[in-house]
Amino acid sequence: MTGFGATVVRAGRRLLSSLPALFGVLVFTFLLMRVLPGDPAVFFASGPNAGKEEIEQIRKQMGLDKSVPEQLVFYLSDIGRGNLGRSMMTGQPVLKDLRERLPASLELTFTALLIALIAAVPLGVVAALKPGSLVDHGVRLFCALGVCVPTFVSGLLLIYVFYYLLGLAPDPTGRIDVFTSLPPQRTGFLSIDFLLAGDIEGWWATCKQLILPALSMALFVIAPLARITRASMLVSLGSDFVRTARSVGLSWQKVVVTYALRNAILPVITIAGIVFSTMLGANVLVEKVFSWPGVASYALDALLSSDYAPVQGFVLLMAGIFVLVNLVVDICYGIADPRVSIG
Amino acid sequence: MRFVSFRSASSVLATTALLLVATAPSQAQTRAETLRYVTGASVNTLDPNIPGSTRESFALSMSTYDRLVAFGRKQLNGKWVFDLDKITGELAESYVVSPDGLKLTFRLRKDAKFQDGSPVTAEDVKWSLDRCVTAPILGKAQLLTGSLTSADQFKVIDPLTIEVTLPKPDKLALPNLATVYPLIINSKVAKEHATPEDPWATAWLKEHTAGSGAYVIESFKPGEQVIIKRNEDWNRGSPDKPAFFKRVIVQSVPEPATRANLVERGDADLVVDLQASDVQSLEAKGKLKVISTPQYNSITFVSMNNQIPPFDNVNVRRAVAFALPYEDMFKAALFGRGAPLFGATWPDGKPLNGIYPFQAPVKTDLDKAREYLKAAGLPEGFSTTFSFNVGQASTAEPMAALVKESLAKIGIKVDIQKLPDAQMSTQINEKKLPLFTEGIVAWLPSTDYFYRNFYTGNQRWNYSSINNPELATIAQEARFEPDKAKYEEAGRKLNAIHFSEMPQIPLWQPNQDAVMASSIEGYTYEFHRQVDYRDVSRK
Repeated sequence: MTGFGATVVRAGRRLLSSLPALFGVLVFTFLLMRVLPGDPAVFFASGPNAGKEEIEQIRKQMGLDKSVPEQLVFYLSDIGRGNLGRSMMTGQPVLKDLRERLPASLELTFTALLIALIAAVPLGVVAALKPGSLVDHGVRLFCALGVCVPTFVSGLLLIYVFYYLLGLAPDPTGRIDVFTSLPPQRTGFLSIDFLLAGDIEGWWATCKQLILPALSMALFVIAPLARITRASMLVSLGSDFVRTARSVGLSWQKVVVTYALRNAILPVITIAGIVFSTMLGANVLVEKVFSWPGVASYALDALLSSDYAPVQGFVLLMAGIFVLVNLVVDICYGIADPRVSIG
Repeated sequence: MRFVSFRSASSVLATTALLLVATAPSQAQTRAETLRYVTGASVNTLDPNIPGSTRESFALSMSTYDRLVAFGRKQLNGKWVFDLDKITGELAESYVVSPDGLKLTFRLRKDAKFQDGSPVTAEDVKWSLDRCVTAPILGKAQLLTGSLTSADQFKVIDPLTIEVTLPKPDKLALPNLATVYPLIINSKVAKEHATPEDPWATAWLKEHTAGSGAYVIESFKPGEQVIIKRNEDWNRGSPDKPAFFKRVIVQSVPEPATRANLVERGDADLVVDLQASDVQSLEAKGKLKVISTPQYNSITFVSMNNQIPPFDNVNVRRAVAFALPYEDMFKAALFGRGAPLFGATWPDGKPLNGIYPFQAPVKTDLDKAREYLKAAGLPEGFSTTFSFNVGQASTAEPMAALVKESLAKIGIKVDIQKLPDAQMSTQINEKKLPLFTEGIVAWLPSTDYFYRNFYTGNQRWNYSSINNPELATIAQEARFEPDKAKYEEAGRKLNAIHFSEMPQIPLWQPNQDAVMASSIEGYTYEFHRQVDYRDVSRK
């Protein structure tokens, strides 16, 4: 119980200490958006007859008629009240947009990370067991291929093969076939909501829809995960405790999995945390190719049209998620190696 | 029947039950009764009047709302296109234009109902038109082009008659009422959601509809998809029956290659915004119906800022006009899919007619271009930038490379600038770009309308910043010219000025390539460059 209590205290302290960083991100993004060239009011007043009057009206609507410090004060007080502003693109409050789209991105990223870990950890372990062997080189080649093919290329390739040529995959648009009715929304994760609703067919349909985008994202991140696993496995296999464990005649499996891998997993968790955060923001290309209604493609569209509120909201969200992921990584450390949580 | 294979029997039953509850008389719908339309952009508001609304929003509003009148359609080179000169009634059963052209009287259909069942009255029409000219919305600027500016101009005569008075006999008043913006709203419902700060219920109507149109919103997810279902009571279409499809799914698929795959695999029924290269290969395969219509109300051009040196010199502009590699650009950008506006021959050096856009007698002639540069006092050439926006990169990028190459041959050094869309609009608005490419569209493509909106005044759409008093005067006068021959003459004069001043160089009218399943019929090229879902049916 004391271990758990210490973890909670540590987590709380970590969260508190990240607040100044979040505030910095908030102000920095705000200023950055204002410095970027391009006037959103002019862009949105792009109807065939939108003249000066319309531009002024939109400027007022977006609060751009005020001075930058004033805008910042308004913005911060809005944030304080939990209002992220309104998107000009979708016409919806940013908070609502993000809330609807975040589960889509998270579901995709979690699945991709899961696939990547399931593939990368064994690959790394196998490579580390026989360094320099043909297997090791094979893993290296596979990783290199995965990381050097951009996600949109692998995405389009997968679509071409599995949807267009073979017809195995469902049409690569969105999270679910347009003709399927959605389950009652509980978590926002379709695969979980379908299970909760007891609709196995629907669940299978979502999974089928998930596979291709998740796979093309996973291919891209297998490399860093497998390389880290291999490197830290090598260190761990060469260490004294493994030699000791071997010498006392423990089974091969026990030595590799329980002693070596458990000690080698810490850096993998760190990298997985970082990979997860980057994937969430960087999967914009996958989201575009698969018409995935996620936050990254939303933020990109907003950025291209200089729609301030969604971009600011997105960056804030990402910063928040980054803090959370770091926290989770810390907690995972504690579980993998209890020594970490002492002190 | 892919539709069924995705579900178990139980979920089909459940869905059927749901549908029965939701739409009492209708039965479970089959794939054949559903139109799946995929598009690159998305519907972002249900009221097209909201600043920032997309073309997809325009198309959607055509189906969810009725207007007083609608454009007819005609055949152009064997393809159906909207007909600006044939205005038919939509909510109006009939209309009368007074002999002096100052009064339009609309008689409403007796049987027209809003989607909530209440009858459409002249009061609703007045409220809606008042809103269009009073509220701070897009309709205001559009209706201005048809001399509709004040609520006093709309008068209720009796519950089924409304009268519109004009200060001058404006030919564009009636067609303006058929455009996207002056939709007729159920005023009772809208007023219930109006607030003192928002008396015209713009906030509410952005996310809700209160119309009498052929379709009702079933679900609306901005940025993803909109599903609409048929309004069984609607009878305002030309064949006097409800629209064909029971359900229409308008889905955003940002990746053009995926849109092409979807329609080729038969999962999507109709798409209009594919890349020219994809259209060409789909057409070559011959499995799908491809209807390519030159967008006869739009123009792609290269514009020069007539106020910035050296483009303030007409000879420099002419030099550029004769140095552009037209044929190569047309092939590289559009694979030749469109109607060229270059390479004409004017036998006596005069415009062939008064229609704008016109095909200009320009072609690539580097010697002539060099002469013009010499005449401008710049025989050595100069340096400039050529800008285009990221949104048009697929066509503009290859174009820009060719422009750079060709202008270099006469000594003009070009730096290519690829600008994000918002930045491009800003720079255009501030008149800062010396040389760039853009496209324009006019909903009501008449010669005077084009010239007034795109070649006069210190406003954004005057891309070339041309300031020619003679052109401005003729264009203004032509607007109210009732005599057809005189109007034609004015058009010829305008075209002649355009060619001699060369403020910007019209290149072509790109095709609207509609790719659809071979069973889809009735596709018509509409003024808003999207599909009117009421036009199409399945064989």
